[in-house]
Amino acid sequence: MATDDDVGPGSRELPIRSNPDIESFDIVKTYHRLLADDPDLTMPVAAIEALIEALGASSASTVFETMDLVKAQSERLSDAVRNPIALSHGTDLFQQYLVLSLKQPGPGGKEASSHENFEVVRQHLLRNGRLFAARAKDARQKIAEVGRRYIHDHYVIMTHGGSRVVETLLSKAAESIPGDPRRRFKVIHVMDEARRGPSEKVIAALRARGIPVAAISEGAVAYAMSTVNMVLVGAEAVTANGGIISGMGTYQMAVIAAARKKDFFVAAEQHKFGKTFPLTQFKLGFQQDVIQFQAKPKEGQEAPTPVENPVDYTPPEYITSFFADHGVLLPSAVAKEVLDFLF
Amino acid sequence: MSAAANGPPPEATNKPVEKSEKPQAPAKNEKKSKGEAVDPTNAPKLSGAELKAKAKAEKAARRAQIKATKEVVKGDAAAPLGPGQSGPSTGDVKANKGKGKQDSVSGTNSGAAGKATASKGSTPPAATEPKVTIPECFSHLSIAKKSAMTNADKDVHPTVLVLGQQMATFAIDESITRLKATLLAFKKVIDSYNTPPGNTLARHLTPHVLNPQIDYLTACRPMCFSMGNAIRWLKLQVSKIDPDVPEQEAKKQLCDSIDSFIQERISVADFVITEKAARRIVNGDTILVFGRSTLVERTLLHAHSAGTRFSVIVIDDPYEKKGQVLSKTLAAEGISVSYCGDFGGLRWHVQRASMVLLCAESMFSNGSMYGRSGSCDLAIAAKALEIPVTVLCETINITDRVATDSLTYNEIDPERCSAASFRLLFDATLAKYLSVVITELGSVQPTSVPDILRKLEESN
Repeated sequence: MATDDDVGPGSRELPIRSNPDIESFDIVKTYHRLLADDPDLTMPVAAIEALIEALGASSASTVFETMDLVKAQSERLSDAVRNPIALSHGTDLFQQYLVLSLKQPGPGGKEASSHENFEVVRQHLLRNGRLFAARAKDARQKIAEVGRRYIHDHYVIMTHGGSRVVETLLSKAAESIPGDPRRRFKVIHVMDEARRGPSEKVIAALRARGIPVAAISEGAVAYAMSTVNMVLVGAEAVTANGGIISGMGTYQMAVIAAARKKDFFVAAEQHKFGKTFPLTQFKLGFQQDVIQFQAKPKEGQEAPTPVENPVDYTPPEYITSFFADHGVLLPSAVAKEVLDFLF
Repeated sequence: MSAAANGPPPEATNKPVEKSEKPQAPAKNEKKSKGEAVDPTNAPKLSGAELKAKAKAEKAARRAQIKATKEVVKGDAAAPLGPGQSGPSTGDVKANKGKGKQDSVSGTNSGAAGKATASKGSTPPAATEPKVTIPECFSHLSIAKKSAMTNADKDVHPTVLVLGQQMATFAIDESITRLKATLLAFKKVIDSYNTPPGNTLARHLTPHVLNPQIDYLTACRPMCFSMGNAIRWLKLQVSKIDPDVPEQEAKKQLCDSIDSFIQERISVADFVITEKAARRIVNGDTILVFGRSTLVERTLLHAHSAGTRFSVIVIDDPYEKKGQVLSKTLAAEGISVSYCGDFGGLRWHVQRASMVLLCAESMFSNGSMYGRSGSCDLAIAAKALEIPVTVLCETINITDRVATDSLTYNEIDPERCSAASFRLLFDATLAKYLSVVITELGSVQPTSVPDILRKLEESN
């Protein structure tokens, strides 16, 4: 991938056992650096890469030690951020990957759950650290291919937030590929007044490709819904029951779309799938402090600061289908896949 | 929830009951066995004195019935009642057979039972319940029977004999407790087993030793799904034993695998589920529970000891009243509990709750929950108010059967069973009324239960 070469070539040189002291390795800092270095990186993938770097920095030489290390580092990482759902999906996936690849018979087909196989897996991981990121970016292209079939001429598509998958999907749909002409459609982008930055970026990118975009406020979603043909959103994380955790406002759009009988699609890569299973908005596993009751401000009493990027949970019954990198999935199929991979 | 059984109108309640009674003179009936139901001939024309006598007899009968229920554990059981019903696992083939057996036995039984009571010096053998005929359309439903230990096959191990009586009287009631007790009893059976010469353990144990135990337990109370699952597993283990392995070693192997089965599928499973469920309770929650179940109680206590502040609403099963025990336990721990003895004002209670916590007797593979009867009403009420319903269930309780209604698989409450009406012990709650099922393998949506089952099979 050409795009990979220009992102932080320094980080390609993973220190293979040069620094055996894991104590000096700060996974939290690495995670944030990875996210800052590459704006295209999603949280789960950044978490996976941070774990691989941790693996390189450690001197763990047995399977057990390694699993222990990965677990401890994952926990440290989750504890350090306020909303750990997306990154915990990444770390869970990585742990599962480790377990599965260590279980597999080693080279030559012989039973080798032993040291030898472990070394092979370890070396493979360290050498191909950036493979996860490359594949994750590939996934967006695949989702774009999958999703364009669902976009038809003269469609009005409502979207929300600064999702990179949605941006890629819409941009690709507006291009013609051999045998498939470009789609002519319009986009209604719902702006979150509190966080304009990411939305403006997406709007600018879409307009640059000649797609007519209208920006509306969140209050106008119900008003605009009757003109819309489909709603398409991205997700921060996909839950075990086929729901999504996504930027605040997604749930509201989903409810209104269901009320107006509009299709609600989610574009999400497979690495965002995870074991989280929330039941209500307030049981996501961390406090968002979005709702704060106040009579009059009291001196010296600090109200808890609301989380920086608040999210909400959209239950699966509001979701028509998922565009994932390996196909279009019903929410129930997502649930089955999560069960297959992660349990 | 009692289900009106069929045709006979309420005023005819006594008639079918009478029919199945042995013809006896009314006076003798009242004096000799208090447990017999009221004499039919009184029914048409009743004078004041007769009415009084009738009321007296009824009261006595009720008392004797309660007494008998308590006593049966000790072994002085009465004649088997009702047509022989087989468990959810065995269909209704045995219905006629059971009936025939019962008739032949009841004559000889009085003597045997009399002897048993004389030696123990406890209450006289009372016919504990009026024999009722379950209408044909419900004949597939099973019912627990207090059959005398003396009727059991000679091969039934004493531990199993006692266990059967405990099950028949609902002294051991919860699916998982029954399973554990059964496995422990089978361990003793295996322990005291000696392969007769000319046989191999793998071929002899199951048909000649295990099956009589299983038949006896099923006769006492139909097996629950978890027992069915575990027994299937146990038989497989027996059949897998290499005939060349010395007997002692084979027995040790079997006992060890039973131990690890209990450890894995029951003890650790319960621990993991409790932990997971407790983590779903957050500060300020109001948890609504139904009746008492060990898992739910442990979860609440665990969450409380972890420092979560929450309150509990206990809706009780009006027939069992075990929720009172739960309320007391929770209140003693300092959890604020509100208690409601029945489903009165259900909607109001449910809307105060932030989560409904239920324990499943079993999960069907279409995601329906088989639970204490009343669970379904609760779940529907909760769904209507958008309150999430959380189900706790060990994977051993998951069955590959499918149920879309409460009448396909169920059990009749032997305590409340007349020809006109009977109460069902369980009901099936459709997947759409449930939010999440917490198993030891993970939390899944109810419709993913078959995937869990598949996952289990793959790992074995």
